[in-house]
Amino acid sequence: MTDATAQGAAAAPAGKTRTSLYTLDEGTKRRNAAEARFKAYGVTAICAGLFFLVVLFVSIISSGVPAFTRMVVEFDLTLTQEQYDDAESQVLKTAAYQAVFIEAFEAELNEAGVDAEFDAAALERMVGKTGGIIRSHFQANPDDIGSPVTFELPAASRIDGYFNGRLKREDVQDSRFLMVSDLDLADTLYEAGIIHNAFNWTFIFGSDSGVDNPGGAGIGVSVVGSFFMMLVVLALSLPIGVAASIYLEEFAAKNWFTDLIEVNISNLAAVPSIVFGILGLAVFIQFMGLPQSAPLVGGLVLTLMTLPTIIIATRSSLKAVPPSIRDAALGVGASKMQAVFHHVLPLAMPGILTGTIIGLAQALGETAPLLLIGMVGFVARAYPEGFMSGFTEANSVMPAQIYTWAARADQSFYEKAWGGIIILLIFLLTMNIIAIILRRRFERRW
Amino acid sequence: MAEEKMPEQFSVDPSVNEHEIKFHCENCQVYYGENHAIKDVEVDLLDKTVTAFIGPSGCGKSTFLRCLNRMNDTIDVARVEGTFQLDGEEIYDKQVDPVQLRAKVGMVFQKPNPFPKSIYDNVAYGPKIHGLTKSKAELDELVEKALRRGAIWDEVKDRLDAPGTGLSGGQQQRLCIARAVATEPEVLLMDEPCSALDPIATAQVEELIDELRENYSVVIVTHSMQQAARVSQKTAFFHLGNLVEYDDTGTIFTNPKDPRTESYITGRIG
Repeated sequence: MTDATAQGAAAAPAGKTRTSLYTLDEGTKRRNAAEARFKAYGVTAICAGLFFLVVLFVSIISSGVPAFTRMVVEFDLTLTQEQYDDAESQVLKTAAYQAVFIEAFEAELNEAGVDAEFDAAALERMVGKTGGIIRSHFQANPDDIGSPVTFELPAASRIDGYFNGRLKREDVQDSRFLMVSDLDLADTLYEAGIIHNAFNWTFIFGSDSGVDNPGGAGIGVSVVGSFFMMLVVLALSLPIGVAASIYLEEFAAKNWFTDLIEVNISNLAAVPSIVFGILGLAVFIQFMGLPQSAPLVGGLVLTLMTLPTIIIATRSSLKAVPPSIRDAALGVGASKMQAVFHHVLPLAMPGILTGTIIGLAQALGETAPLLLIGMVGFVARAYPEGFMSGFTEANSVMPAQIYTWAARADQSFYEKAWGGIIILLIFLLTMNIIAIILRRRFERRW
Repeated sequence: MAEEKMPEQFSVDPSVNEHEIKFHCENCQVYYGENHAIKDVEVDLLDKTVTAFIGPSGCGKSTFLRCLNRMNDTIDVARVEGTFQLDGEEIYDKQVDPVQLRAKVGMVFQKPNPFPKSIYDNVAYGPKIHGLTKSKAELDELVEKALRRGAIWDEVKDRLDAPGTGLSGGQQQRLCIARAVATEPEVLLMDEPCSALDPIATAQVEELIDELRENYSVVIVTHSMQQAARVSQKTAFFHLGNLVEYDDTGTIFTNPKDPRTESYITGRIG
């Protein structure tokens, strides 16, 4: 045998012409070219991906950032006790306060040295009816009577739109909402610093407003709705999903029935979410009589949707735990359950958590099924009264709120929708960061 | 040409044949689905003796070893028939819980497989789940004893909190042996314990096996005939699922009765 090999090796050079290592033969050239082409495809694909990502972020941020600020009209107002008593004694109380406001506003203009023509109607078009706001402030804080108070009142959404470029001067036609002359006044006030930009806390903490009041719209209530809904999803889908996966992966016999279950779980993961919405409407609301638009029902529907994702992720991370660890545990006399819970599960934990958080992030961004069970944006009008009622009181969720805003006619809601997307993305990003941190923490080498 | 260099030293101990029988196996069959992997095996494994299972790959020696502590139970398609008696008790009896059996019959695997935990926890895990100790001090003592028996105490006594997976391959395997003896088993099964180790670590583990013979019945599966010759007193040769020959190690290597055994140990089959 050794002899044969030696002969073969000696015979080979005789039949072949000697080639140089310095010249590439045809086959090598072709292979190198193919490799270079493949690398180029990869780089192109990644560049295209990055380009679209950048476009997406730039457009989201540039369209959404205006939602976080708004123009406010700032003025000082001192209400004397006599003015208060006088206004309260009249039949049209807010009108009296309106007069006080106009007086204070004129004083503000004089102090700033601005010479501007305006009438009460123009002011009303710009900041709305301020009398009610002033009255409720002094009723809530009677101690402020007699001392100067600084008011910051949100400007009308058209004025807002004029300053952030949404509304062009040449497009404005005189109407009862806005006159061209109002824009001149607004410009003057802006230069005087009476109208200025301020952070829009209402957008963060407010509730949905009516279709005619984009300035008052906020996402806060639907954030709370999303929170309660995600609590339900987490509390149901994590234990059910992990328990189901552990049973299927570690304990269940492999037969046609478990195969059938496996196929069905994979199929469920691919079912369009709106189907789960219809199911939720039919089963949870119509059959079981749970309240409409409730985060509890939304959570139940999304649990159904999230379970396959969690089960698939958990099973694959359980599969990835080397069998030698199970053998080792069984070998020292651990029961199957001890082997799973003491050794396999801790090792599978990073994968399970990642899968769970991806599933939850998907649920957080889900819109269609929630619209079907009535969690539409305009329902989000008030914060729930208590923790428990947060599950059952009608509410919306962030993506449904965004959808509702995007569908409204008023241009100003458009920027609210983009702003809502920014908030939603911040939550999703936070969840992904948590996933990464948990992964790092639980990851162990073996 | 196929002049296999024969080991010069055998671990000869003629008194082993007087040791009592630990495992009595008779008419043993194992099926993997349709595949008949173990055929009519009959063997008596002795106490305080090292028994080596040798044979070509796929001959069933590992399968048979895994029958002895019912590790084949974890394989769905595997079916085991026949008599397997440990001290006269049938281990496949319905009343027997494999967990209790595995506490009596420990196992060391081919690839070192410490838990991804500290060295201390690796050894303490078995005693903990079986409730062998009442206090922390008692457990500490037991861990030290096991690590000493595993011939690794001196190397790790200062870093018991270090991860077991951070040790070298040979140390990991000795840690696994320490883990296996920590539950005070009566039989120790070793499935090619040295196949992933370098010669120095192999020598250490072999020395350890020889020491373990004092207290345990050791069964070792090995591909290395030199190793079988060095560490075992009894040798069983498996071929195609049959137990071809079972005798004193010296007899198997110098005077085999079956032509297949002779072919294998001289390197003609396998």
